[in-house]
Amino acid sequence: MDTLLQDRLLTVVVFLPTAGAALLLLFPESASKAAKWFAFCVSVVEFAVSIPLWTRFDVAKAGFQFVEKSDWIPSIGISYALGIDGISLLLILLTTLLTPVSLLFSVSHVQKSVRAFSIAFLLLETGMIGSLAALDLALFYVFWEVMLVPMYFIIGIWGGARRIYAAMKFFLFTMAGSLLMFLAILFLAVRHRALTGAWSFLLADLARLDLSPSTQALLFFAFALAFAIKVPVFPLHTWLPDAHTEAPTAGSIILAGVLLKLGVYGYLRFALPLFPEAALRYAPWVGALGVIGVIYGAMVAYAQKDMKRLVAYSSVSHLGLVVVGIGAFTTTALSGAVLQMVNHGLSTGALFLLVGVLYERRHTREIAAYGGIAGIVPVTTALFLVATLSSIGLPGLNGFVGEFLVLVGTWSSPHRWWAVAAATGVILSAVYMLSLVQRVFWNPLVHEENRALPEIRKTEFVAASVLVVLMVWIGVRPNDILSRLGPSIEAVQRSVSQRQALAAGGLRGPSLGLENSRPPFAKRTPAAQVR
Amino acid sequence: MNFLQFGPDDLAAIAPEIVLAAMGGLIVLLEAFAPATRRWFATLSLAGIAGSLYFLRRAPAGASFAGHYDTSALAVAVGLFLGATAAVAVLVASSYLERAGEERGEFYALLLWGHLGVSLMTRGLDLLIVFIGLETLSLSFYVLASFFRRTEASSEAGLKYFLTGAFSSAFTLYGIVFLFGKSGGILIANLARPGFAADPLVTLALLLLLVGFGFKMSLAPFHAWAPDVYQGMPTPAVAYLSVAPKGASLVVLYRVLSAVFQDGMPDRFRTGVAALAILSMTLGNVVALAQRDVKRLLAYSGIAHMGYVTIALAVFGWESLAAVIVYFFAYLVANAGAFAAVAALYRDETRPHPIGLLAGEGRRAPFRAAVFTLCFLSLAGIPATAGFIGKFFVFKAAIERGFYALAVIGVLNSLVSIGYYLKVVYFMYMRDSVEPEGPPPMAMADRLALSLCAAGILALGIFPAPLWALARRAAETLPFASP
Repeated sequence: MDTLLQDRLLTVVVFLPTAGAALLLLFPESASKAAKWFAFCVSVVEFAVSIPLWTRFDVAKAGFQFVEKSDWIPSIGISYALGIDGISLLLILLTTLLTPVSLLFSVSHVQKSVRAFSIAFLLLETGMIGSLAALDLALFYVFWEVMLVPMYFIIGIWGGARRIYAAMKFFLFTMAGSLLMFLAILFLAVRHRALTGAWSFLLADLARLDLSPSTQALLFFAFALAFAIKVPVFPLHTWLPDAHTEAPTAGSIILAGVLLKLGVYGYLRFALPLFPEAALRYAPWVGALGVIGVIYGAMVAYAQKDMKRLVAYSSVSHLGLVVVGIGAFTTTALSGAVLQMVNHGLSTGALFLLVGVLYERRHTREIAAYGGIAGIVPVTTALFLVATLSSIGLPGLNGFVGEFLVLVGTWSSPHRWWAVAAATGVILSAVYMLSLVQRVFWNPLVHEENRALPEIRKTEFVAASVLVVLMVWIGVRPNDILSRLGPSIEAVQRSVSQRQALAAGGLRGPSLGLENSRPPFAKRTPAAQVR
Repeated sequence: MNFLQFGPDDLAAIAPEIVLAAMGGLIVLLEAFAPATRRWFATLSLAGIAGSLYFLRRAPAGASFAGHYDTSALAVAVGLFLGATAAVAVLVASSYLERAGEERGEFYALLLWGHLGVSLMTRGLDLLIVFIGLETLSLSFYVLASFFRRTEASSEAGLKYFLTGAFSSAFTLYGIVFLFGKSGGILIANLARPGFAADPLVTLALLLLLVGFGFKMSLAPFHAWAPDVYQGMPTPAVAYLSVAPKGASLVVLYRVLSAVFQDGMPDRFRTGVAALAILSMTLGNVVALAQRDVKRLLAYSGIAHMGYVTIALAVFGWESLAAVIVYFFAYLVANAGAFAAVAALYRDETRPHPIGLLAGEGRRAPFRAAVFTLCFLSLAGIPATAGFIGKFFVFKAAIERGFYALAVIGVLNSLVSIGYYLKVVYFMYMRDSVEPEGPPPMAMADRLALSLCAAGILALGIFPAPLWALARRAAETLPFASP
């Protein structure tokens, strides 16, 4: 066990939830309470196991850490390669944190087929962490798609009134994007084989392929589409409001908290190093779509009558800002963007959770059905207010740091006007969020039934306050996180800029430290390779 | 050479088929003279299949009967695939026939004989053996299709399958005759001669074979029989018919084409095959979206799947054959598993199988519904299932040879397919049951069949390396021209 936790820590972190899900199969269908708490305990153990990733992470090192590599399908070069850098570290911890939070919330609110719900949730966690840790493109794709299935069930079985439509739309949209990415991955591997004679799906190997600009553009498009749908980037966002609104609270927390980030993560981890020229060429488009997302999301959010839909559209806006940071591509903007992903996970996670708290009591998400309940549920109100302030970027809380870095970083990039335009989104976010708080918690109390609104439960309170504590922590000590990000962000930037300069021959670029083949390879004619 | 002269090695080579024939005969005799032994028929059939596989593994290497009969790695790999399909069908049949009140030995005997025919098809290195195998298969399944004599749908299925089957056999036979006339022999190896492929009559013969075997594969536009036949045929027989003969037909096509096309597949021929693939995928998937009957839905899904494997045929070469073999193993566990679940989930066999009746089964029959869902995920090609691995290798082969358009059309089609696969899942898990009467109680054999298929889907999906090695060894035995 000791060596397992030493040498194969990432494997343990990835598959512990699956093991928990397998054990849950042994529970009788009727033992729903036991199943709930068991799943929660598994997720807490999982969080505990993932802590060493944080503590043992070498801040000074730029490359991948906790690397594991073994063969999977050796004859075609597919390997089981895991490893994390600062970016994946943060998102993995966000995942292992939000999963117990969601499950703790669900303990008192999921009644139907509890065992299946817990199994789906744990499998989803494996899929998410696996995608964040995979360094082999085939392996990544497997985890990436595996995530869809549990989420489809979580929305479709435990969701709201229009859950079927939302689940189907979610599945088809995400799948549509990733299928083309699948072909692009195959193309890269085949090209690698044609150029070097060896099969490989490792990111580090494939990132050194020299591709013609037009090929790069096509492949980049295939990858970017998959990731843009996941983020979602305007105009591919239409699945999001439906999925977020109809998903059960726990599902919304995970969707907003982690799943969306995987789009941005995939872009940073795969699309940028694989197709640096294309990525830089199309960066203006990426940033422009981000800016549109910021403003469009904010304006539509303001028009919503449904609390959950409002928070969902606020996600479009916030993720838009992250995309702006990615498009700007300065170190500051990138750091801010990654930090902002974590911040959004915490604040939106908390908002969905607290909306869920209200919904479970009144069974309506209509903003108009509330009003004046601040005095009746003061604790809920206080927590909601903190989450709101974090979401709109109040200094002292986490959101401010992320937004500030993105805007400053973008300002210093060639695309100065993006910062100006995106900053309006920050203002707009204050408009729609504060008016939400105003209409739900302050305003005069008009609905008599709200007088008896019960206060937040202990389990819900614990779940929400964990997030609030983290908001304050990141707000006060952002450097704990930024220090872990810095080297990784710079490595991403280097992988793009140097590869551009060095483009020559069959393979190019600096080593990412984990490749099967070593340069330089003579460029052989493709005919000599294929049997 | 004299066909009647053969040695012990030849006997050992054909022992797998002898075992099947004998076991079928034994079951028919027992049915006639000792009907009390009926409950052992399924076990006997399984023993026959297992025995046949045992002899297949032990068959002497190389071709036997003076090069007319194959015992190579290809024969072994395909035999394993066929035997596994037959085993699932038998397991499903035991409780299914009992529920339907038609527990008669003929079912098992015909299944074994049909299985024997398919084996002959895949192992014959001469076109006559292939044709005899094809006819043995067809005759057995004509009867199996109308096995429920008193049910109208079953009689209709039998008649439809018979008419279209006879029609398609004629195409196949014409093709064989032309090839015989041009090459002067029935050995497939004789077809491998320079310049042979350029002869228009040979091209015509190959097209006729493509049509004939296209019928058996239910490849569009030769697919029209499949939905009706599947609907009326006893479900365990469909589990076999929808998998094994399709794989066998493709293996025969590969054998013939790899011999004729010494210099690779000509472009015009390839265009035709690719067109069939695109048509079959698209038509199968689009029409499946509109189906309300589970068996018809699976029929159209099968038509679409034959389109995906035909992509591999258009790509050609040993990688593509290896991909086809992997694809068929994946298709076996998922599709036979799906039919096993259909057999175990529907109570009344004399009526159609509307999807709506599955509503709420996710809670009432959690195990069966879960396996059914897994089968659909695999058919849809979701990663970590066998189906993904099958598609992976097919699309990889296509991209390797530069057929990007086929690959793109293929993946877009699998997106469409998700629409109808998830429809069934939706009914099982997201709708409340309409039928007061739940699904029938689950027999041990059903549970075993479903568990095996589920385990196969996950095992092949997560650890595909051994299967790929097997398929590769098998595919390399054919004399493909190097590109």
